Amino acid sequence: MASSSAIRPSMGAATLLQSCRAAVSSSATPRRAAGGLLFPTQTASLSTTVSLLKRHTYPGARDNKDHNKHRSESAIRRTGTRWRLSVSDEPLPQPVKRENLPKVETDPNHGLWDFFLDRQTVAQAPGEDVKHGRGWTVEELRHKSWDDLHRLWWVCVKERNRIATANWERNKSKLGFGESESKARDMAVRTTMRGIRHALTERFYTWEDAVKLAEADPEVDLSGEVAPYTPNEYFEENVFEEEGAELSAEEIAELERAEVEQAERASKAAPSDVSTTPLMAESQKLQGEALRL
Amino acid sequence: MARFSDYGFSPLLPSRPSHIIAFIRPKPRQPPTMATFVVPLKFNKLDLRDYLFHAYNVKVLAVRSFVNQPPPQRKNGVANGKWYRPRSMKMMIAELAQPFVWPDAPAVEDRTAFDYEIWNRMNSEREKSIAHQSAAQEGDIIMRSQQKLSGDRRQLQNEAKKLLKSAPRWTSETSAATKGEAWTEVEEGVKLEALDKKKY
Repeated sequence: MASSSAIRPSMGAATLLQSCRAAVSSSATPRRAAGGLLFPTQTASLSTTVSLLKRHTYPGARDNKDHNKHRSESAIRRTGTRWRLSVSDEPLPQPVKRENLPKVETDPNHGLWDFFLDRQTVAQAPGEDVKHGRGWTVEELRHKSWDDLHRLWWVCVKERNRIATANWERNKSKLGFGESESKARDMAVRTTMRGIRHALTERFYTWEDAVKLAEADPEVDLSGEVAPYTPNEYFEENVFEEEGAELSAEEIAELERAEVEQAERASKAAPSDVSTTPLMAESQKLQGEALRL
Repeated sequence: MARFSDYGFSPLLPSRPSHIIAFIRPKPRQPPTMATFVVPLKFNKLDLRDYLFHAYNVKVLAVRSFVNQPPPQRKNGVANGKWYRPRSMKMMIAELAQPFVWPDAPAVEDRTAFDYEIWNRMNSEREKSIAHQSAAQEGDIIMRSQQKLSGDRRQLQNEAKKLLKSAPRWTSETSAATKGEAWTEVEEGVKLEALDKKKY
């Protein structure tokens, strides 16, 4: 083993897979012979302190290991590693310059484009930035459904992210003016967001009041097990007597058909204008829960 | 065990968040699979992952985060202002499943829509005055002679040097008065621009 590489130089790959310790000892021996220099050679197979060598064999003896993976490795005593080092024979890949690397194409539908007001300049020029209307007022938002408000909120959130990205880019890349214009745009968005919060808070208070009323109302059952609204008998009788007498069997059938058609139309219209994102799905679920309440 | 790629809804993230997240131009040597964001301080890695997935449909493999703490500053930017530390800024670098290459910043010639020329002049003046102020705070007041001369002044200086070189040095002997010669009009034939009275 000591002179394996000297005897069999043609073995190549076989000698590449050898422990470092062997490599050290094989190179150290001929050098000493040739130059007569006194290189420190490894005298012991293991380099350690005497105290740690002591073994305790009596029952209940303490653990004498120090759990050091590199114990007995020493740079001074020229010991090698305690495990085999693998050296591959394959040629190493040559580094390629950044300019010569193939150009990375961005997907035109990548979601991160939504952070940009303008795909070329990232920040919009102030002339373009001022082209916006006012924010939504609370009065306008009161007429919107829960879903619409939720969707509009997310449009606002993304717009504010776009404005923040543009601001950062304008400052860092030193594009020029446009700070006050983007501020005005941001304020319009914030007006809308405030309006949404206002409208929803109002709606919540109304709901709370309605629940309070319903608890006191004997006609309403909030347990959720039976139909929530059961009108009093005298009221029902009156209606039945007045209307039921006038309607014939054909008219009742026709009314039922019309109701079914209307329900079908509503169910068709609903999914077409809803862009179903996971958030939207959750919002619908939440709304469903709110309705059930 | 839940893995990082299991997208969900962060319990801390409300259904109508008002956080602002800015997407930031990457550093020159940053690979296109890494996207940097400025996020609110209370954001965590999972929040960003879920936010990007649900709001932007962007899949993220991993997120690294760090907080930039700015140095203490004087209030109102004056020398005797009270010391305070500006709010820290949290940044997150997301490893993207799909690379995203930023467009190059527009060249100086293409920034006319932003009024770049005027802005640049104003900005350089502002930076200069800030540098002056901060130097003065340290006790080094930059004297007029140490400052860089403006174009007009440099021109005037050069003219004066030229004149001193070409003309003989003035003494009382050489002056016209002592020689008994008549005064000569130096500015004879020099045409001055008519002053616009409306302007001044």
